[in-house]
Amino acid sequence: MSPLLRWLGAALLLAGAAFFLSDYHNDVYRKLLLWVTLALSYNFLFGICGQIAFSHFAFYGIGAYSVVIFLFQFHLPFPLAILLGIALCILFALAVAIPSTRLEGFYLALATLALAQLFIVVLNEGGAVTGGPGGLANYKLPEFLGTRVRGPWYTAVIVLLLLGTLAVLWRLDRSWFGRACRAVRDNPEVAAAMGVDVARTKVIAFTLTSALAGVAGMVYAFVDNTVNPPIFGLDNAFLLLFMVIVGGAGRHAGAIIGAALLFLLPFVLSPLIGHHHVLVFGVLVVAAILLQPRGLVGLYDALRRHP
Amino acid sequence: MRKLLAVAAALFAASSFAQEPIKIGVITDRVGVSKPYSEPCTEGTLFGAAEINRRGGVLGRKIELLIEDDQSRPDISAALARKLIDQGAVFILSMSLTPATQQQQTVTMEAKTPQMTPMNSGDTLTTQLPNPYFWQTGPLGSIQIATLLAHARAQNLKRVALISDNSDLGQLLARFFRAGLEKSGIQIAAEEVVPRGATTAEPQMQKIRAANPDAMFMAGVLTAENVLIFKAYRQFGLKFPIHSSYNLSVPVYMSVAKGLIDGVTFVDAYDPDKPEVKQFIAEYTKATGKAPFNLHGYGYDGIMMVAEAIRRAGSTDKEKIREAMQQTSYAGVMGAKGMKYSFPEGKRAGFDPNGMVVRVYEGDRQGRVVHVGQK
Amino acid sequence: MQDFLELAVSAAASGCVYGLIALAYLLMIRPTGIINFAVGEWAMVGAFGGYLLLSEFEWPYPLGMAAVLVFMLMVGWLTERIAVRPLVERGAPLLAPILALLGMLVVFREAISVSFPPDPHPVPYALGIQHQSLFIIAVTSVVFIGVWLFFERTVAGKSFEAVAIHRRAAALMGINLSRVTALSFAGGAGAAGLAGLLVSPNVSAHYLMGVPLAIQGFTALVIGGVGRVEGALLGGLLLAFAEQLTVRYAPIPAGYAQGVPLLLLMLFLLLRPTGLLRAK
Repeated sequence: MSPLLRWLGAALLLAGAAFFLSDYHNDVYRKLLLWVTLALSYNFLFGICGQIAFSHFAFYGIGAYSVVIFLFQFHLPFPLAILLGIALCILFALAVAIPSTRLEGFYLALATLALAQLFIVVLNEGGAVTGGPGGLANYKLPEFLGTRVRGPWYTAVIVLLLLGTLAVLWRLDRSWFGRACRAVRDNPEVAAAMGVDVARTKVIAFTLTSALAGVAGMVYAFVDNTVNPPIFGLDNAFLLLFMVIVGGAGRHAGAIIGAALLFLLPFVLSPLIGHHHVLVFGVLVVAAILLQPRGLVGLYDALRRHP
Repeated sequence: MRKLLAVAAALFAASSFAQEPIKIGVITDRVGVSKPYSEPCTEGTLFGAAEINRRGGVLGRKIELLIEDDQSRPDISAALARKLIDQGAVFILSMSLTPATQQQQTVTMEAKTPQMTPMNSGDTLTTQLPNPYFWQTGPLGSIQIATLLAHARAQNLKRVALISDNSDLGQLLARFFRAGLEKSGIQIAAEEVVPRGATTAEPQMQKIRAANPDAMFMAGVLTAENVLIFKAYRQFGLKFPIHSSYNLSVPVYMSVAKGLIDGVTFVDAYDPDKPEVKQFIAEYTKATGKAPFNLHGYGYDGIMMVAEAIRRAGSTDKEKIREAMQQTSYAGVMGAKGMKYSFPEGKRAGFDPNGMVVRVYEGDRQGRVVHVGQK
Repeated sequence: MQDFLELAVSAAASGCVYGLIALAYLLMIRPTGIINFAVGEWAMVGAFGGYLLLSEFEWPYPLGMAAVLVFMLMVGWLTERIAVRPLVERGAPLLAPILALLGMLVVFREAISVSFPPDPHPVPYALGIQHQSLFIIAVTSVVFIGVWLFFERTVAGKSFEAVAIHRRAAALMGINLSRVTALSFAGGAGAAGLAGLLVSPNVSAHYLMGVPLAIQGFTALVIGGVGRVEGALLGGLLLAFAEQLTVRYAPIPAGYAQGVPLLLLMLFLLLRPTGLLRAK
């Protein structure tokens, strides 16, 4: 089966499922798809490029807030709002990435941690523009070509976002850029000796994945038709990191599995063990790293090799 | 003949209890930042539901509470609202964070399902979205400041300080406190914020001291940070009166702020002398072995009002419940003596503007009521 | 002027708390390179230990404090045993124990959260509210002098340095790597737990107190530099002074003052990532 047919098939399957789900399951499904999308781009940044960052949710938020503000506060036309939102994400990402190329490892983590917190402060102090601590609500997705996309059709949009993100990352991964990223991750000095522009590679990787997160944020803004500061907070950034670790950093399948598992787990565990489920999470993460640092995907590989 | 009727009546009663229960959804927080408030509120609701069922239920049917935990995550909150609606809940009670309640509204508005928060006090909940299916019976921030100011009128305040924290509710209350103060023509000489995680409030209190206010109003809702404010106040030997939001009515301050809160006035919706309150405390203690406090009362009143609305609607049709709810006039545990919850003129915030009381801390205990309402 | 003096004492006390947390990070980073973000939760455990022993069981303060310290040493040693040693022995990349410790952060926080009621808990003062700042400064000074002496003057301390400089060479010279690691974690937990115990009479013990402390402590570490023990204290003091002086004197609205330490952190990272004090 040609690759294009495979992608089409996946799209149809994932989008089609939405039409058979109840409202509640559809809602959970949509948020699951968004988390998987975020995990994929985060996995590229963290697993493949080796950059620890906590800013992913901040860019998710920049995308979401900017599209809502441009559309409903400044009343810009839809396509322009989207473009400006993406431009904003790229701008902020460059502003963080370019100076950080001189920093290694946990310094970037710290800078992005600070960025994530600053973002929340700005949101809270933003007054009428950002809606302050209460956020923005009472808006709807604008009509596109005369119709308003809603319900399972909007889920299809999210499926397209997911597959689009995966496609972009997959191609990149297999290209020379992906190899350069891995080289930089494993040993920057050797990579530089081999002719890779280490700083540029890091900047492009960071900017690209952050922009992808921003686009996902724009799609998110119309899922609940509400944006407020707690959604984009640090707790979620940690959860995203855990997802990628448990699933298996560096592999797309790992991001998908980790995101699906850690997102759905509270829904399953909460009725069973009440409020202890977060504790179970922490234990799972520690166990995952101790027993199989390559994550669930690594476990699967190991089992395949020694059946 | 009479015997036949008696048997028929008994059979009828028995069979109606065998009918399906009325499902009421409850969205609360069991693990996140709202837990200290959500937990007692939920316990109050559970107690209320058990009492309703013991007395025969609603419309001859039992009430079944479907409880969900949103972990203080607003996006999960909205999904849970959908889940409850799918499961057949005819009413949703929201007892989690203010943004979570807000996010659930987008769902209940679309699904035309009645929703109420008995606890949240953010004024914007009923104004940000035109959702006719949502009601709020928690004491609004605007009512809190108006009540405090009415009590403080005798102090002839000209310039005051306002201090809060950087939580979303703290900021919201600060906004409405500010508006209330400005409306009364009182100048805000200093406005400070103590961020979450601060190790001291001394710099903020120094600025306030330098502004020499007639009084200080506290709008913060984070316990640890409020305690820092009290500590700095005592350490500097300051003397101006402190007036606080209803957050000070939570009993935890009696243990973590020992020796620090004597004389602090706060606004509350709980009058311990009210006969309904005394009865509530007695029955709750008998049933559970623990004494309740004001947060339990919010949850209790909430479920009682929902049950009463369904009774008046005469059915579980959501539209009829909505109409009945809007006509509510109910005297509950919370509020000043004689207060009733009601939603006049199509408004959806139901706490009577004159229904709050001002109390004062006497030593470390929550003391008597010193003022009622806004007069 | 009186304001400034009062503020100086308050900032010095807060700076000492941040410094202790930074010290905790430092004790673990130097020999192993492992950044343990769970130090904030360790501080929280120390605070809850103080609540239990001093408020609930009402032990005398010195006894309670000593007991909490001993308990924290064990907690640190145990954490290393569970989450770090298996990975180090397997030769896992440095990232693995860091991530495992992030998982432990959640485990610690939730363990406390499910064991105690959700409200904040009071912890008593050592000498009364008026003297707490001085007490904090005194205790911290003792700790830092002790640690400094340990590293400079004792053979055991120098072996720590050797491991920090070159692990393999140190191992070849007969230094027991795993013992050094275990001790460094125990010491880190002790420092962090002490910080929690010292700060909790003011902020009360509650289960969300860990993450802000971890972030503040790490900021202090970045400012002061990882190379020298004194750097941790210097970084903590600078951070606390910057925070509190900004709130008191800067003519900006209250809400924005919280952004100052974050901006400071980003500035340091960009301009001077190695911190103020260079390693020797």
